[in-house]
Amino acid sequence: MASRVSLKSRGKEGKGSKGSDEKSTAQCLKEWSTWTMKKAKVITHYGFIPLVIIIGMNSDPKPQLYQFLSPV
Amino acid sequence: MAGLVPPGTAIPADASKTAHTKADEKIDYMNLPCPIPYEEIHREALMSLKPETFEGLRFDFTKGLNQKFSLSHSVLMGPTELPSQSGETIKIPTAHYEFGANFIDPNLMLIGRMLTDGRLNARVKWDLTDNLTVKANAQLTNEPHMSHCMVNFDYKGKDYRSQFQMGNAALFGASYIQSVTPHLSLGGEVFWAGQHRKSGVGYAGRYETDKMVATGQVASTGMVALSYVQKVSEKVSLATDFMYNYMSRDVTASVGYDYILRQSRLRGKIDSNGCTAAYLEERLNMGLNFILSAEIDHKKNDYKFGFGLTVG
Repeated sequence: MASRVSLKSRGKEGKGSKGSDEKSTAQCLKEWSTWTMKKAKVITHYGFIPLVIIIGMNSDPKPQLYQFLSPV
Repeated sequence: MAGLVPPGTAIPADASKTAHTKADEKIDYMNLPCPIPYEEIHREALMSLKPETFEGLRFDFTKGLNQKFSLSHSVLMGPTELPSQSGETIKIPTAHYEFGANFIDPNLMLIGRMLTDGRLNARVKWDLTDNLTVKANAQLTNEPHMSHCMVNFDYKGKDYRSQFQMGNAALFGASYIQSVTPHLSLGGEVFWAGQHRKSGVGYAGRYETDKMVATGQVASTGMVALSYVQKVSEKVSLATDFMYNYMSRDVTASVGYDYILRQSRLRGKIDSNGCTAAYLEERLNMGLNFILSAEIDHKKNDYKFGFGLTVG
């Protein structure tokens, strides 16, 4: 009985999505924000440490490149 | 006889003390001090009772390039625990190297740490104005769905602080703490976790004087936490902590000490779960610190010993 009910509801959902091609604005917004979050995560992951280094190397007194690379 | 103070010298000190306390009795309710931030309400107890114990070898090297900017290299070799359901602790030996860059300015603080397995820990604190601060904390990994991020907006008023926070799994929270008298501050918080569909309310209070700090916190998740720290002298302070979860009937009490000496700092604690921990930081030279850490848990048969060196 339970499996018959679930098959019926799946059928109805399939017909519904074929019928209306327009996505609602809420869905659009969700997909957009998920896409933005994913891109922001990748950008932060690769770019945060270089950002800190760039800000640090440009602060005054400006450190030299050899100071950055040498281990002492 | 040489140890006794002559009675004549004690009297002027007492007179000045009574004059001072009479002035204190007239509390100016319009000029109360700004309270401690809500998440740091148990700060003294946490500093004494929960040192960052580790297992294995730890080597930290911090190189300052300028007053504000520094790079840090950190090596950690030791077993890391895996969460296991059987109650036994499973440890896997790992070694990692962590590269960090810190930029610390009065208005902007950026701290980033990158590990060899691709994990990034980023912390940002930006003072937009004198009273408004934005803080962000993120742990990003290469594995999907294992990253966390939290952003806080703090507003500091004359004698209150309020904070609004947003987290990555639709986690929202707000907290407010107010100074009620020069020694007592009370606060509350609410949070809502979207993914788990949970919400909660909590209240906290903190009473502090020069010699002691007592805090209490209750939350609707079932947690009750009380702590008391007594500053016995400038070098010694003792702390005790009591945590009770009335939903899961879990109780933990711990007692600890914190000795801050000229060349070293020693912290130790003992728990009601039979866990003893100690943490020693010894200053060998200017900028060179030696660290020893030990945590013994007889109940779980888990013994952790670590040693390390911090340079810079």
